[in-house]
Amino acid sequence: MIRYILGRLLSIGLTFTTVSVIVFLMMHAVPGGPFDGAEMPVSDAVKAKLNASLGLDKPLYVQYFKYMWGVLHFDFGVPFQSPGETVLQLLARAWPPSLILGGAGVLIGAPLGILLGIAAALHRNTWIDYVVSAIATLGMTIPVFVISMLLILVFAVWLNWFPAGGWEKPGSWVLPITAYAAIPMATYARFTRSSMLEVMTKPFVTVLRAKGLSERRIIFQHVLRNASLPMVTVFLPMFIGTATGSIFVEAMFRVPGLGAYFVSSITLRDYPLEMALILMITMMFCLAYLISDIVYAFLNPRIRFGGKP
Amino acid sequence: MSADRSPLYFALRRFADNRAAVLSGVVLAVIIVMAIIAPLITPTGYADQAYLTDGLAFPSQAHWFGVDDLGRDFFTRIVFGARVSLSIGFAAALCSLIIGIPLGAIAGYYGGAADWVVMRLIELFSVVPPLLAAMLLGALTRGGFVTIVVIASLFGWVQVCLLVRAQVKALREKEFVRAAQALGASPGYIIRRHLIPNAISPIIVGFVLAIPLAMMLEASLSFLGIGVPPPTPSWGQMINVGMNFMYFYWHLAVFPTAALAITVLATTLFGDGLRDALDPTLKGR
Repeated sequence: MIRYILGRLLSIGLTFTTVSVIVFLMMHAVPGGPFDGAEMPVSDAVKAKLNASLGLDKPLYVQYFKYMWGVLHFDFGVPFQSPGETVLQLLARAWPPSLILGGAGVLIGAPLGILLGIAAALHRNTWIDYVVSAIATLGMTIPVFVISMLLILVFAVWLNWFPAGGWEKPGSWVLPITAYAAIPMATYARFTRSSMLEVMTKPFVTVLRAKGLSERRIIFQHVLRNASLPMVTVFLPMFIGTATGSIFVEAMFRVPGLGAYFVSSITLRDYPLEMALILMITMMFCLAYLISDIVYAFLNPRIRFGGKP
Repeated sequence: MSADRSPLYFALRRFADNRAAVLSGVVLAVIIVMAIIAPLITPTGYADQAYLTDGLAFPSQAHWFGVDDLGRDFFTRIVFGARVSLSIGFAAALCSLIIGIPLGAIAGYYGGAADWVVMRLIELFSVVPPLLAAMLLGALTRGGFVTIVVIASLFGWVQVCLLVRAQVKALREKEFVRAAQALGASPGYIIRRHLIPNAISPIIVGFVLAIPLAMMLEASLSFLGIGVPPPTPSWGQMINVGMNFMYFYWHLAVFPTAALAITVLATTLFGDGLRDALDPTLKGR
């Protein structure tokens, strides 16, 4: 077990470092710099001075190690587009709306999806199954900005029940959270259905039936418990996915969250913010995979006792 | 039982029994034909501002989907948008196969260190959100058709690779592979002649299911304004523009939205049906 965790840690550390190097190189390979904007042209001498003051004149590897050294001390630098605060302060300001949006979306969508998935699996090949499968496929294949668009058209423009955008009143939270919840709901419905159907064909279920256990106890005590194993492992990565998935929902509903900064940090060559955002998300994904691997290993005796996953 | 009842016959039978898959296959075929013969069924070119005086006109007999804000026939734009979406989808899926099949086969056949390297590579692509990487790559190469295909295949090969790897791993220990090894066949020959042909069903499924992912990525990037540059029509781009007119001119938002949703849905259902037909043990997964 310890060996397994250490191995995972090592491989994830390697992945993280590789990503940071690649992203850093790519970011600096994008032509243009932070002071090349057309709206406030500065002379070459001033530009050189500004670049020097930010350390952008140094060789790339020096800049990389300097930045990563700061990251190790939780210093992500100062965003070029808003020099009055640090990157961390900017995140503290812009993240809460995204977090509420994503968190509420997953916390509403996932349980709903699991329930739908269970209902579909128990009533296989009936209209319930077909409706759930249709909803799940729609939710997974229609881009989230299309869902948002339809929600705005129906509930804001035609019915006028909720505001079409903004984040000030709780009433304006309803539509974006609904749009966001569609993804985890669809993913979970599909996933739960297929993993329950898979477990239900296992020989041990037949044995349970043969020994006369009630259908309810078979489903809730045995099938669900076994089917939930793979479900646990997709939960955390999907939760992290809220961080980037919300870009579109935020853009559609004009939510003042983190989403806009993903785009602006790249277009404005805001290197510290860009690097911080990508590193943070990569880090969270790494941790999420690590934790779900460990949880999976812990729940799965085959790994707990030293076997291969 | 007659001799012509090959596995393909049963696969086709299973596919024909799946009504949703057949229907989506028909819808997909219609969309593909429309995209191919686009110049024949549309009144103007996709960038011709032929109806400037009718700008923003609602759908009518003359303009089925109305006219957009720049005086272009909107039906024309939607039909030509299918060209962009489909060609990016197919090109990206093809590139995903080109990257995914050899890597998956090598990882599955050799195992050990080769498998470890490929799995770390996959891990690398699973921790970076595709959208962020796409935005960065888009800024690096200034967007456009080729960039989107490259990005979509960079993230699309993972699925193909995993499917091929699993299949090759399962076949590696089979007798016919052992026999080929005993006869002195080289690993490359075994992979080419024995393992990949036997992995053809997951490859087909991987190909079809990579198409909607690429189409969605294209639409997402174009929606953000870093995809296919105007005036080339792209549904994502049209949705973005339509959003600004939504309150008064609903048609500019509804038609590209519906076009994108229908195409992606039809491709996915078609792929799902194909998977169920080719490999009944994977049904509904």
